[in-house]
Amino acid sequence: MGTLDTEILVIGSGAGGGITAARLADAGRRVTVVEEGPWVDADAHEPFSLGEMVTKYRHHGASLALGNPNIAYAEGRCVGGSTEVNSGLYHRLPDSLAADWEARYAIDGFTPEELGRYADRVERDLGVSTLPGAPPPSSAMLERGATKLGWRNVEFARVFRYDAAGRGTKQTMSRTMLPRALGAGATIVADCRVQRLLRQGDRVVGVRARRRHPGGAVERLVIRADHVFVCAGAVETPALLQRSGIRRNAGNGLKMHPTVKIAARFPHPIDHGDVPMHRVTEFAPSLTIGGSASRRGHIAMALADTGLPFDDALADWQNISVYYAAIRSDGSGRVLAIPGLASPVVTYKLTDGDLSRLARGIVHLGELLLAAGATELHPSILGGPVVRRADELGAWWDALTRSRANVMTVHLTSTVRMGEDRHRTGADSFGRVWDHRNLRVNDASLLPDAPGVNPQAAIMAIAARNCDQFLAS
Amino acid sequence: MSAPSVPAGAPAPVAVVTGASGWLGQNFVRTLAAQGRERVRCLVAAPDEAPPLELVSPTIETVTGDVRDPATVDRLFDGVGPEAAVFHAAAVIHPRRSVRELFDVNVGGTQLVLDRARRGGAARFVHVSSNSPFGVNPGPDDVFTEESPYNPYMGYGRSKQEAEQLVKLAHDRGDLGTVTVRAPWFYGPYQPPRQSRFFSAIRKGRFPLVGDGTQRRSMVYTGNLVQGLLRAEVADKAPGNAYWVADAEPYELREILATVRRALAAEGLGVSGPERVPLPRAAARAAELADALLQGRGRYSQALHVLGELNHTIACDITRAREELGYEPTVGLEEGMQASIRWCLEHGERL
Repeated sequence: MGTLDTEILVIGSGAGGGITAARLADAGRRVTVVEEGPWVDADAHEPFSLGEMVTKYRHHGASLALGNPNIAYAEGRCVGGSTEVNSGLYHRLPDSLAADWEARYAIDGFTPEELGRYADRVERDLGVSTLPGAPPPSSAMLERGATKLGWRNVEFARVFRYDAAGRGTKQTMSRTMLPRALGAGATIVADCRVQRLLRQGDRVVGVRARRRHPGGAVERLVIRADHVFVCAGAVETPALLQRSGIRRNAGNGLKMHPTVKIAARFPHPIDHGDVPMHRVTEFAPSLTIGGSASRRGHIAMALADTGLPFDDALADWQNISVYYAAIRSDGSGRVLAIPGLASPVVTYKLTDGDLSRLARGIVHLGELLLAAGATELHPSILGGPVVRRADELGAWWDALTRSRANVMTVHLTSTVRMGEDRHRTGADSFGRVWDHRNLRVNDASLLPDAPGVNPQAAIMAIAARNCDQFLAS
Repeated sequence: MSAPSVPAGAPAPVAVVTGASGWLGQNFVRTLAAQGRERVRCLVAAPDEAPPLELVSPTIETVTGDVRDPATVDRLFDGVGPEAAVFHAAAVIHPRRSVRELFDVNVGGTQLVLDRARRGGAARFVHVSSNSPFGVNPGPDDVFTEESPYNPYMGYGRSKQEAEQLVKLAHDRGDLGTVTVRAPWFYGPYQPPRQSRFFSAIRKGRFPLVGDGTQRRSMVYTGNLVQGLLRAEVADKAPGNAYWVADAEPYELREILATVRRALAAEGLGVSGPERVPLPRAAARAAELADALLQGRGRYSQALHVLGELNHTIACDITRAREELGYEPTVGLEEGMQASIRWCLEHGERL
């Protein structure tokens, strides 16, 4: 049994934890970051490859929120968290949402201007840019289809830096904020899972953790800290709070962007190395259309969603790419830590309005892909039908039912909401957990709702804002 | 009808109407044809709904299909040309299978028609909405205005709210000049069978009067509503706004029942049974609760839904429609109910 002492303990090293570690270490604080997952060299795996999925994702990428239907979800579990495995798409929190959240949850000083200032700094630190050249064919298909239909579309910026030759590198936490924290004197402990917080009255005095050493030996560890920041993501953060006896507004109100997909076959080859950076925003904010990772494995999984034979299509996988429609959902879910189980039970309830929005999304996505020149559409609906002509798309409305829809998500938020309305929030306006003096949450859990766009920009800006407030207090 | 005094443009030569074979649609399409529009392109849901409309005038063209289906809505707008006026009345009020249908048709259909109207360069898009996005008035003396906040009444209310928001968004981002017309409970010719049951229950003294019957309901005679839609098409101030369009004043529920009995008698239909069948408010509340429970599980019962709503005041103020659209209701309850009853009798309905 080992012990460690630190001034500030950051649990989790993703978008929230990475920013927190770097900013507090930069300010001269003594910071220790613990990360449940392994430290994987950012260049060790091809992006979106099977190897990446096995090493960097929780449950090897096969997590499940229970409900009718169940919803598959994926999150990173490695040093750098989901920033290591996501597409890098970066979209600031829409101003209208910031204003809405400020009013609805009474979040102090949560103004578009203030968030904008923090976003500016995050963007300077990380590097956020659009593609220097022409988009790859997978992305150009979105642009082409949308242009034909007169639908708004935009190339989203990504957390990428490009070299003189135009070669891009995703600016993940393990490439940016975590090295910066190390440079400022922070310690990062990988393969170390925090089991519970040690509380004494209104203070957290430390945590109990298990650290897995190379070779498999497991060390039980106590880490004493003056301040604890929980940044383990919207599933693991509330689970850790619950395991530690903090249950009020921790784990309920889970939000996500439920997503349905189409594997689209074109009469020409499509690239498979990158994720399309174009988004169709015509139907935003209720639904957005974009492209997914489309390696051969992803294509096979997407084709298999219909349960119909797909050998012919898979043989032609070079011409296929996977696209999605994601919705803002009225439903919500919860995270429940169960004693004796390592992973919490996650549930999510889609409303009838949500199901209808998913159907609308997949029909619009189908229109777009046919307009872009796709010849065969395989929807994520059990039993299909596979569609080849526009007049067949309407069949998807009735085909997409609770029992036949294959729904997934990569964005989970809102399990420890922030704001001064104590009835509806688990933490104050700056992430301090209610009734605790030195315990803070600083990740996706704080967002009061799913933002309708990739959430990492909002998570990072909010985390940076909370760090400044902590340092000033 | 006196000439309205508000600034307004000319009606479009070509009109596109969804929900054309519905209760409102039947009244509306006939008025458009009578006005001498060059073409009235109509969407109907089933093939047997087309011929009765085509019989009205050679200017009426029908397209049959599902408003959720992109290919159908493409056909609806095929060859319509720019500067058409689009009237979107297709909706599901009482779903046959599941609550989900409300969202599929009312939201999904609205999004598609908006999209095709925008792409076709429509001059204006008039959307038919409802009181249901606003729920019920807190007290019997309250009325909804255009400033009232959303407070949707169950699945239908939520679906119509979402549709209204899509319509408003299309205007606000510069796609299309859209106007929402919020109509309460209608009455008038071309009524569906459920309304004949309403008359027949009142005639036989079997329609329940929930509580003391002083709860108020705004109603709108279909002819008045048709006028409201036509004003929304042309009024300069209308785009981007929503308007309550109803009869001049709300009616107390007991007054509605008494008026219908008088109108039935005036059309030579003997009325029987008690004028009032009192039903305790608790029974209506129980129905409302059962309706909510059922809808929570995706199912729907029309009887429970209607009974649950009868307990409440659902009244609106039409001042803004008068001022900005130049709308002026010309038919009142007794005259309108008589016209409805006459239509039923002429069409072989047994009341």
